[in-house]
Amino acid sequence: MRAGAGRGRAVLGWAAWVAALAALTAAMLAVRGHLDKAHVALGYLLLVLAASTRGTRARGLATALLAFLCFNFFFVPPFGTLAIRHPLDGLVLVTFLVVAAVATQLLFRARTEAAEARSRAEEIERLSTLGAETLNAGRAEDALNAVAEVIRATLGIDACEIWLPRPGDPPLALGARAMAADVPQTARDGLAMARLAAERGDAVTEQANGTTHVAPAGGGRGEVDLPGGAGAVGVSLPLRVRGRTVGVLRIARAGGIVLTPAQRRFFAVLAYYAALGAERVRLSAEEQRAETLHEADRLKDALIASVSHDLRTPLTTIKALAHELGESGDDRAVTIEEEADRLNRFVADLLDLSRLNAGELRVSPEIVAAEDLLGAALQRVSGSVRDREIRVEMHPHEPLLLGRMDFVQALRVVVNLLENAGKYAPPGTPVDLSAAREGDRLVFRVADRGPGIPEDERERIFQPFYRRPHVEPDVGGTGLGLSISRRLAQAQGGTLAFEPRPGGGSVFVFTLPAAELEDGAGLG
Amino acid sequence: MSTTTILVIDDEPQIRRVVRNALEGDGVRVIEAATGREGIDRAAAERPDLIVLDLGLPDVAGASVCAELRRWSSAPIVVLSARHSEHEKVALLDAGVDDYVTKPFGTAELKARVRAQLRRSRAAPPPTDEGSVRVGGLEIDLARRVLSRGGVEVHLTPTEWDLLRAFVAGAGRTLTHDQIFRAVWGRAGGGDPQAYLRVHVANLRRKLEADPVRPTLIVTEPGVGYRFRAPG
Repeated sequence: MRAGAGRGRAVLGWAAWVAALAALTAAMLAVRGHLDKAHVALGYLLLVLAASTRGTRARGLATALLAFLCFNFFFVPPFGTLAIRHPLDGLVLVTFLVVAAVATQLLFRARTEAAEARSRAEEIERLSTLGAETLNAGRAEDALNAVAEVIRATLGIDACEIWLPRPGDPPLALGARAMAADVPQTARDGLAMARLAAERGDAVTEQANGTTHVAPAGGGRGEVDLPGGAGAVGVSLPLRVRGRTVGVLRIARAGGIVLTPAQRRFFAVLAYYAALGAERVRLSAEEQRAETLHEADRLKDALIASVSHDLRTPLTTIKALAHELGESGDDRAVTIEEEADRLNRFVADLLDLSRLNAGELRVSPEIVAAEDLLGAALQRVSGSVRDREIRVEMHPHEPLLLGRMDFVQALRVVVNLLENAGKYAPPGTPVDLSAAREGDRLVFRVADRGPGIPEDERERIFQPFYRRPHVEPDVGGTGLGLSISRRLAQAQGGTLAFEPRPGGGSVFVFTLPAAELEDGAGLG
Repeated sequence: MSTTTILVIDDEPQIRRVVRNALEGDGVRVIEAATGREGIDRAAAERPDLIVLDLGLPDVAGASVCAELRRWSSAPIVVLSARHSEHEKVALLDAGVDDYVTKPFGTAELKARVRAQLRRSRAAPPPTDEGSVRVGGLEIDLARRVLSRGGVEVHLTPTEWDLLRAFVAGAGRTLTHDQIFRAVWGRAGGGDPQAYLRVHVANLRRKLEADPVRPTLIVTEPGVGYRFRAPG
């Protein structure tokens, strides 16, 4: 019907120009005696140019030809024939025809370029609107819907769907759908087609007769080749970003999809927008998932903190009551008190491990004298390692040994090493503790005459919950001490390692950055 | 000697019982309060000689109770805390708390801390520049700036003297790094000198202690500060 109306208008246009030509010829014929050939030629040329401007190129050329014939027949002697008496008249006629044809052609080209420019400008405007819409859309899903709607409106199709990958079956879910207002739900199953396109990585074309074609789609941002030609009622394209399929774009039109070259180009750009939109949806979902995980982590830490806090109150009661019982002479009460202490240590270790894992342990290094650290450590283990001699090797007359450390965390490492030595060394043997400056390190050594540690276990003992085989499990440890100690050492730029002791036993070597006093540090 | 009154402010009845059992007897009377509000009221009414305060009270934050008490009472406050945070301890000591005990604590430890605080609060005010102090084999003459150990004079630098004076003035109490720093250098913490506070203490220990690795006069309170042994 649209084509019919166009044809009617064209016929009407032709008739109008023929009538105008006849009128001009009649008018000039009436005053032929007063007219020069130049006047006639200019009159016809004006008409040809008008016809070219208003109508098509064909109409312009036809008008030029008709004007040429009229010129010859009515105004070039002998009148009433197409014969030419003077050769110069022939030159005038041919010149007229050439000028008319060239002018028509030039006008046509200028008009085509103007139209092209106009449509490009419209394209750019649409894309910029779309860009702004997708950028402004608060949620990634809204941006995707905006892209789908622009594609549908621009291409004049019934529906535009964007399918996104999802875990499970079906592997795709509808991410966005734009439908023309007057179009009923498309009969075809969009999911099946989109799925096929996603699985094959190719464009899938649905024909009106129900057949389906699979053909490679143009890659990346390039021209999208719509396979299947004019008969296609649906096209599904895999959407790719950096070589990964991030979704499927499906367009459908019951009357067949017909795209001009400009629309095709536009479609390629829009398909890339859709791909970026699909990728944005995926990224924002991932971000949400990461946030959820982070939240879960925080909850876990809060739980551990709260549990450890809530455990300490009943532990205090247990410890105090056991102490009272112990004073009245019940030996079992001593065990109860020790176990309460052990439970408390276990809770504290778990709390520390979770803090270290979360990277929440803060260290504040300061300059500390080695003997200050060792003194505090000896004081702290005076209860737990009371039945064992700890020999300290330090030279009190050399200048102060200084290190840069977090006092509290470094203290925990030394205390842990001393308590371990106290546990594993045979009764009656001393534990040796020393501090020395070695290069730019301050080195502490805790040595015992215990059974030592076989070579294949020397790194594993620093893993959390590692329990050495063939070693009595019930020595009051938590299985976390060494792993926490090593990480505390590392957190302040230090190291913790095992060395076998010559003559049997273990040496744990704890190093920290050494420190110097600057001159004029105000030590007056 | 009159009866000593100790007020225990704790919302947990078990902990109140533990503290009561540990401290009661020998002329000590223990009174209890279950909330911060009630604790402040009882402290005002009974004027206790010492207050044991739990930080985890349900109604008022322990720090606020402490601040309220300090406005009109100089009775020693010993805090019970379930947290192992040195920052918290420092903040409490700076806020006027005299000592703290971390849960789970042993009754022996609690008794020792409370006794030390009672003794300190009953003792004569800290010695002034005119006085002379004897502690652990040392004789410290603050007026003449003479220190002797076992009858032999020991030379101290000016900074070490200031440090020793601060320790003696706060003997028996845990002094935070910041408190010591203010006493010695006369202004709030920060800057280079504070970074060397530990170095000065280590040097002072070498001059005072029989064995600097096993100090008995200047005891380190890890992450908090130092405590100087009370004379006598």
